[in-house]
Amino acid sequence: MKILGFQRPDGQLGIRNKVSIIFTTDCSRFVAQKLKLLFPQGTQIFGYPGGCAFQDGPVNKLTALGNHSSSAAALVIGLGCEGTDAYKIADAIAQTGRPAEALKINEAGGDIMTVEKGSHILVEMIQNASMSERVEMSPADLVVGSECGGSDSTSGLASNPLTGAAGDHLIDAGGTYMHEEVSELMGCADVLAERAVNDEVAADIRGAIEEAEARCFEGGRFSWGYGNIQGGLTSIEEKSYGCLAKSGTKPLQGLLRSYGALKGRPNGYYISMSEPNSGTFSGDPEGINQFAAHGCHLAMFTTGCGSTTGGLIPVLKVIANPTRMQLIRDNADFDATPIIRGERPLDEMGAELYQEILNTAAGKLTKSEIHGHYEV
Amino acid sequence: MASKAILLNANDDVATALVDLQKDEQINASLGDRSVDVVLLQDIQFGHKFALHDIAKGEDVLKYGLPIGQALEDICAGESVHVHNCRSERFGHRHQKYGVNA
Repeated sequence: MKILGFQRPDGQLGIRNKVSIIFTTDCSRFVAQKLKLLFPQGTQIFGYPGGCAFQDGPVNKLTALGNHSSSAAALVIGLGCEGTDAYKIADAIAQTGRPAEALKINEAGGDIMTVEKGSHILVEMIQNASMSERVEMSPADLVVGSECGGSDSTSGLASNPLTGAAGDHLIDAGGTYMHEEVSELMGCADVLAERAVNDEVAADIRGAIEEAEARCFEGGRFSWGYGNIQGGLTSIEEKSYGCLAKSGTKPLQGLLRSYGALKGRPNGYYISMSEPNSGTFSGDPEGINQFAAHGCHLAMFTTGCGSTTGGLIPVLKVIANPTRMQLIRDNADFDATPIIRGERPLDEMGAELYQEILNTAAGKLTKSEIHGHYEV
Repeated sequence: MASKAILLNANDDVATALVDLQKDEQINASLGDRSVDVVLLQDIQFGHKFALHDIAKGEDVLKYGLPIGQALEDICAGESVHVHNCRSERFGHRHQKYGVNA
């Protein structure tokens, strides 16, 4: 399948095409949702669910998501008295050339006038977005993330290494691949530092893991539970290596500590982190939407326990647990159970998963998209 | 034939059971050019590990080609490898640097 991307004015190429309705505070969420209900086609809604925040984190994240390659235009809805200023966010988005407007409920005239003004804006934005120019994309244009959630022993054995293998294929084709979760990289500092492209990156990853480790020791516990032992895991290192298996084998280009950090960097393998105070979602959707904020077009998601989550970007579910695969087949995108059954080798299936990434980029809907899973 | 255990890195000391395995079973674990046959000294549950060769007390135990901990005692080929005979410094030990149980 040909990948026909949507051309954005800042040069980005998107694999989906949506007008973003952004609420800047919990107080404007309701009115933003009214607009989303009026215009369900071709729109997506997300925002900052907190209150009167002044932190840069939420503003940076909402701006990054509004500037995502799948976002054609943005309407920002604020109440008016919050620190996450709607005009500021709309201005930042407009700087990329995307149409962007902001309305503050307390200035526009309450629910009715905000909905009326917002409707006029959205009608035009949605129609214009539908005419976004299509440009052929190559795998080298793709940025893909990999996350594990609802993990069991099959995650580290099969599905995580599988996403690593698919990530290797993507990088071989010139693309960019990343994972996150530094607190589950205990004992991985040496191997990652060795894979770093230079001393600076090596020191950075060592520092990040050391910080996470110190937090774990100080907090009295690692990301570790009794269920891990029952499942056959012997140490936090073994669990971490299972997570590290997502990383594939390519050189580590760097840590992405702020949104937009990927801009101007070479393609390849990265580890992404969240900006301080930028948590706008929670649990697994936070991870997926963090990938979106870092520019990922789509994410692979490995689960043994059967997470059904979605997010702002297409999520490719990879399941290696045979029982779970049977139970939630309609939520799973890639059946990795032949590895667990010992029927097929990892490298062969990694190439197939890579093909599935390309299919998703070309427009094939993931199960989470079909179900309308949209956790933000 | 479907293999009953997975070897994740050619340098590993352990393989992981892909089904529940019985004592006295002969199991093959292979990856690339490396192929190891071992007779199990005890039952090994799905997802749990067994030694591919003898491991001496104090040695690093490798899985994914990396140390998951050190052997607490001599471990024989075919024996279960888990928290009873393998520990990392981050789990089950007093950590000298931080002085807390982790």
